[in-house]
Amino acid sequence: MAVDGGRRTQLLRGVLDLCLLAVIQEGPAYGYEMTKRLRARGLSIVGEGSIYPLLARLEREGLVETYRAESNGGPPRKYYRASAQGEAVLAAGLAEWRAARDAVDAVLGVVEAEGVA
Amino acid sequence: VNEFVEKCRREWKRLGVPDPVADEMAGDLAADLDEAAAEGASPEEVLGTGANDARSFAASWAAERGVVELRSRRRPRRALAALAVSAALAIVGLVLLVAAPSRTARMAVSAPLPRVVFLPGRLVRPRAVLPRIWFVPARREQAIAPGDGRAPLWWAGLGVLVVGIAGVGATALVSLRP
Repeated sequence: MAVDGGRRTQLLRGVLDLCLLAVIQEGPAYGYEMTKRLRARGLSIVGEGSIYPLLARLEREGLVETYRAESNGGPPRKYYRASAQGEAVLAAGLAEWRAARDAVDAVLGVVEAEGVA
Repeated sequence: VNEFVEKCRREWKRLGVPDPVADEMAGDLAADLDEAAAEGASPEEVLGTGANDARSFAASWAAERGVVELRSRRRPRRALAALAVSAALAIVGLVLLVAAPSRTARMAVSAPLPRVVFLPGRLVRPRAVLPRIWFVPARREQAIAPGDGRAPLWWAGLGVLVVGIAGVGATALVSLRP
């Protein structure tokens, strides 16, 4: 028997790095700001792993660049932006995700159309 | 917020994260948590499941920063070393159990009583009539008597074997823990 929460976590784990790279494409962001951008698009990380270790890994792998800057009236924050390598990884990952999503949709979509629960 | 950050700090200190790195991570974390709290967001919305376990969260973050080893990466080497030591102890204990006598050998020595030997007089002196009496020192005799207790070496072997087996079991349990 599948565990729904576990499946969602596994699915998200495979693409959360792409999601982070995607939300900082629209502009550099610090950790919590990225969480808010994800949430604004309907993706909550409540019940999922934290983004901080993942951001650290992206930085270690050279997929993001960081700098410190003053936030709005708050303390200096660590901002993240995608590096050239990160943008390439995002483009490749996006293609992989879409291909996988289409293939899965092609299988599961038929099941749904036939009304099989 | 402060409590969570302090727990993370303690974990980073325990793991040996350099102070400047720990200060940076703690500062970023505190700023994000403060901002979230001001907006009415829960720590879970900032940290995900990490909010439930500060130590794991801190260790995972430090590991991904590359300043400490991931626990899961350290575990096989340590577990292997612990397993090897435990198995060696068990083998040593087993060898002692087999090699050591199971019962104490108690040696009893008979008293050196003299034996009386009668020899015909003519064998000693051709013309003697009366027999001569010769005292011959008794031969020392040994007797092995089974004892009641186990030999100390046997008990030591049993102890080492038990410790070794317990070590193997404990290592296996810890290694299989998710």
